[in-house]
Formats: sequence, structure tokens, C-alpha cells
Amino acid sequence: MTSQSSPLPVMAAAAARPAGLVATLTAWRVPLTILALCLLPWVLPSKALAVNVLIYGLIAVGYNLLFGYTGLLSFGHAAFFGAGAYATGIAIGQFGLPWFVAVALGVVFGGALAVVIGLLSIRTRGIYFSMVTLALSQLVYYAALQASSWTGGENGLRGFTVAKISLFGVAVDFLNPVAKYYVLMIFAALALWLVSRILNSPFGAAIEAIRENETRARACGYDVERTKLLSFTLSGLICALAGTMSALHLAIVPLDTLHYHTSGMIVMMTLLGGAGSFFGPFVGALAFLLMEDVISLWTSHWQIVVGSVFILFVLFLPKGIWGTALSWRAGR
Amino acid sequence: MTTMINSRFPSPSRRTVLMAAGASLVAAPWVANAQGADTVRIGFPTPLTGPFAAEARDQVRSAELAVKLINDKGGVAGRKVELLVRDDKLNAGEAATRTLELIEKDKAHAIVGALSSAVQLAVNEVTRARGVIYVSISQSDTINEVKDFSRFTFHEALNPHMTTAAVAKHTFKRGSKVAYLVADYAYGHEMLRGFKRAQAALGAESVGEILHPFGAPDYSTFMPRLRAMRPDILCIANFGRDQANSIKQAVDFGMNRNARIVVPVLLHNQRLAIGPDAFAGVVGGANYYWGLEQSIPSAKAFNDAFRAAHGGAVPTDYGAYGFTGVYSLLLAMQAAGGTDTDKVVAALEELKYDVAKGAQSYRKCDHQSMQSVLVLESKKRADMKGDADLFNVLATEPASETMLRTCSELGFPA
Repeated sequence: MTSQSSPLPVMAAAAARPAGLVATLTAWRVPLTILALCLLPWVLPSKALAVNVLIYGLIAVGYNLLFGYTGLLSFGHAAFFGAGAYATGIAIGQFGLPWFVAVALGVVFGGALAVVIGLLSIRTRGIYFSMVTLALSQLVYYAALQASSWTGGENGLRGFTVAKISLFGVAVDFLNPVAKYYVLMIFAALALWLVSRILNSPFGAAIEAIRENETRARACGYDVERTKLLSFTLSGLICALAGTMSALHLAIVPLDTLHYHTSGMIVMMTLLGGAGSFFGPFVGALAFLLMEDVISLWTSHWQIVVGSVFILFVLFLPKGIWGTALSWRAGR
Repeated sequence: MTTMINSRFPSPSRRTVLMAAGASLVAAPWVANAQGADTVRIGFPTPLTGPFAAEARDQVRSAELAVKLINDKGGVAGRKVELLVRDDKLNAGEAATRTLELIEKDKAHAIVGALSSAVQLAVNEVTRARGVIYVSISQSDTINEVKDFSRFTFHEALNPHMTTAAVAKHTFKRGSKVAYLVADYAYGHEMLRGFKRAQAALGAESVGEILHPFGAPDYSTFMPRLRAMRPDILCIANFGRDQANSIKQAVDFGMNRNARIVVPVLLHNQRLAIGPDAFAGVVGGANYYWGLEQSIPSAKAFNDAFRAAHGGAVPTDYGAYGFTGVYSLLLAMQAAGGTDTDKVVAALEELKYDVAKGAQSYRKCDHQSMQSVLVLESKKRADMKGDADLFNVLATEPASETMLRTCSELGFPA
């Protein structure tokens, strides 16, 4: 449970040195992140990879709300990601709805699923919570596999390519990778602002209180179950938004989206970047996808390299990339 | 940043060194990505990692051979051809991303590849939206159907319908009792559908079917159930390592004593991996077997070129797809005099080619390659004349449109 203890010294140090770099980063975290996102497609080897970083970064940020800040290790977030993606694809492909309606539907559907799964799982703790979320998300996986007339089953959902969109009256060529990136970035930026706002609110303090000491939070008068459920739902909503972005990006929804491998990858990215920090999950997603993309170009044995890097990080940088960078800056 | 760290640490710590090493590892490839402006670039996404890696590596080798042969003859309209191989990890989302990269960043002129039904449909979705030619080299019935078709979509591989029809024709008889063990995903489902259709036409009967999870290592629980069905024919419809594992275990359980084991596609690599004893007498279809060289000159030429490039090794069935897929596309580009998509599509539709296995051509309505289907039987150890002498060719179903579903059945306007 390194994630539970790691952010605390960082924050304490930041508070002790209000003029430090960490404090500046924290105060300006949303504009800084958006600035970094604006530059991303020009720094990375390809635009398609940049969109993937955007999507997986957002999932990891959403997941981190639950894992890093509320202290709940869920293994079922692929369900919300996939639900958002499928709902968007079906809304466009089968009902011919406009893309922005489909995005809204995807987020609402994923969020609704998060409420249901949250209600069923939130009263369990620790490993039991992980197992219940894993089981429920596998339920969603098999439902999608069976409902092949809706989801395309094993072959995945296809036939909803969005080629042109109209954004506030301006026609945008959605097949153009740069245009696609910046349109999707708007959604990511809004979601990041929302997450930042949530973390700065009293609610943000409440979920961290639950993470640190659930009994004490309850004694202080917080309704722990409701707070956890709200955090779970918000986290699910962000993941569902990432799902709708993924559907628009790839114009397919593979069944693998719902697979527990996806849930595992989300956990991995969050840990790699640093759970419990705002930037961390994004950095983790970036590092993960970049390594995979670049090393698999060199050698078909890329898994050995990526695996070794993970082992090194777990051994030497347990706070993740960003978490470690923060604690160095904060003066250890 | 470095100075700051150094001011805190007397000498660079282990972490600093590791991080620097990691950073430089990640930073290097930007340099290596420059492309020649006038080359013809063929994108080749294929699952170099995962359960189909052996087949994928063969595809790459044969595709590289096709590119080399064309380049040796002067390339396409004087331009050199370049094959851009990418690992799609047998994951549809990854394949779609890789295909986007190939089109947007590498400016690939056409895409060939993929090795699963779901993955090829994902690649097809990306290419058809962007008007890029895609030659699929993996079995699928769905890609022929009007919903997934586009005029940029070509299917070089056999499809489950024609494969199962040919295999069933030479193994099922009136009154045969067939039990099915089927991988529970698109490939298995499509093969099962094809076999059942052929079975009904031939007057055989089904005594039961069992679905097994994709990638299952253990089939022992299925075998007693299959034996209780008392089949004459045990039809095992799965792919890759699953085929090797399931046949081996079926033979361990003595299933082959009372029933003949039939598979839709008898895989060269899996037979090599497991050895002759478990596979002896197993019958299945194939797009290619190197033994064709005795009767087909183009097969001899392909085998000889492959042997020369790979130290005497012979090409495999799935490897041959890589060759015929890339070669036919490049022939069409030569005929079109360049890479103009409309001209290449027209040239592919008109193309009559014989590059490895006899006459082939793409049907107009669904762009399915009409080609021969081989029915192979795995040899006993005693009958093998060498390590590569794996199969007897029981029959060759000649290339014909009658093996395919009709255009109107696929949903195309008559």
C-alpha cells in the first residue's frame, strides 16, 4: 500500500515550502498540463500515439481519483472505459445520432454503469473490493461478447467512422490527425479541470481523509459509503469519457477494450507515473505507451525490455516517475 | 535538473544512471525514422508477439521475399519497394493505432497483413475510411460481406466458407457422425458455420459441439464428453498453439482410434512443433504446401527463392499468404504504373496472377481471391522422406467461384 503513504510527505513538504517549485506546479497544474498536451503531438513519434496518450492519460487520471486519492484498488475500470466506447459507437452506428450526442450518451452510460457497480462493490474492502470489481467488469465483458448483434461480439464494433464534424459551426476534418487530436484534447482538458476542481474542493479533502483513516473520517461525521460511491462514480465518468474519445479516435471498439488486461494496464500506468499525484498518471500513460510503441519498432522481444523497465521502477522508484521527481524537488 | 541532482548527491547515484539510460533509450528512435521520398511503402501489421507469433514471423519472411524479388526486377515503375513491419500484438486496438501511424506518419501507400478476424476488420475500418488499399491475409468470412467491404478492401487469404467446404467434401460422407471442438471466438465460429453448412449438403450429421476458450492449454475435460458422443469424425476448429495442444491431447485420449481427426486448416508450424506421431492421419485444408512444387512451376520458383534466402528452409502455409498478398499487390502497382489508388484498385480487379500456387484472381464483387484449396493429410513418421516432408496432398480443389458464397448472398446488389 505504498500509494497510501507516498503522497503525504510530498504534500507536507509542499506546504512547508509554499514558494517552491512544487507549490507552483500544484497551483498551475491545469494550465501546465494543457500546455503540455498542446505540445504533445509535435514531440511524440506519431499523432496516433499522441491521441492514445491523451486517452489513456485521462483514464489513468480518472482511475487515480479512486486509487490514488480515495485509496480503493479497483480492477474493473475497463468496464467503464468500454461502456463509454460501446455506447458512443452504437449511438452513431446504429441510431445515427450526431457525434456530440453520442459522446454525452457514452459518458452517461458509463457513469450509470459506475453507479451500479459502485453500489454493489463499495461496501467491500481491500482485496475483496478488487475482486468484486474484477468480477463485475468480467460480467460486462461477457455480456458484450454475447450481445453480438449490438456489439459485433468478438469481431468488435465497426461501421461508425466519423469523418467530418461541425464544431461551433466550423467544419473539421476528423480524419486529419492533428484536428482530431485537438478536438479530443478539448474534452480531456475539461475533464482535467474538473478533476483538479474536485481535488481542491472539500470533497477532495474528504476522500483523502478516507484514504488516510476511514474510521476517523467516519468519526468526523463523513458518510464514508456515500463519499466512496461518489468518488467511484466520478472516476467511472472520467473513464467513460476516455472511452468515447477512444471510439471516436479508432472508429472501432475492440472487445479487448473490456478485457481485464485493460484494467491491469490502467493500474500499471497509474503506478508507473505515481499514484496520488495529479500529473503522475498522465506521465505514466505517456511513458508506458511510448516505451511500447518505440521498442516494439526495434525488436519483437520488446516485452523483455518493457518488463525489465517495470521491475527497475518498482525496485528503485516505488513512487513512480512523477512522484519521485516531486519528492526530489521537495527536498526529500 | 542534472546539476540539481548532482548538488545533492556527491556522485551520480544508481538511480540517476538508470534514469539517464532509460531516457536515452526512449529518445533515440526519432533519428531513425526518415524515409526516402520516392519509395513505395507497404505497411505490414502482424502479431509478432502472442500465440500466433510463429505464423506471423513466416508471413514477414515471405513478404520480405516478395519485396526483394520485385526490387531485384527494378521495383515499381523504377521506385524501390519498402516493407514496414509493425507488431499489432494480436490486438485490434493496437492494430488500428499502428495502421493509423503507417498511413499518417509513414505515408504507406497500401497495407497488407493482420492475422485474426477481429484485427483484420479493425485494420480494414481504418484503411477504408482513408481510401487506402488493404490486402488482408488472414481467414475471415465477415470481411467478404457487404457491411465491411469497400472498394479498397481485398482478401487474399482463403475464407472459412471455402476452406470448410473443400475439407468436408473430402472427409464427410453421408451418415458420418461429426463431433465438433471449436475455439470460442470468431475464427472458430465461422469455421463451425462453414462445416455445418457443408455437413448438411453432404448428408452427414452432427453429434455434438463443444466450445473451448481461446488459448486454452488444457483440453482433458472435453475429451470424455467428446468420446461419449461416439463420433466417426472429430472436427477440431481452432488455430495456432490451440490446434497443437488440442490434437495432442485428443490423441493422448485415444480419440483417433475410432474417429478421424479433421481440422479446417492443417498448420505447418504446429505440425512441426508437435511432431508426426500425434498428427499422423489428421486431415485439414491449406492454402499452400511446399510439396506443390512437383506439379506447379510457380511454387517451385517461390520455394527456390525462399530456400536461397533462408538457408534451405521451405516456406509455410501462412508464410505463403505474406508472399502472395504482397506480390499480387506489387504486380498490380506495376500494371498501374505507380501507386495511384484508383488505378491500383482497377489493376487488382483485373489481375490474373500465378505467383506461388497456380492461377488466382480477385472476384469483382467482394474482392475475394479465387484460388485453389488443398486438402492435406499429415504423414506417419515412417512415410516421411525428410524433416520437411509433412503432408500428403489428398486433393486440390481448383480455383472456382462455385466455392464461394454468391455475391447476392453476401449482400451485394445483383
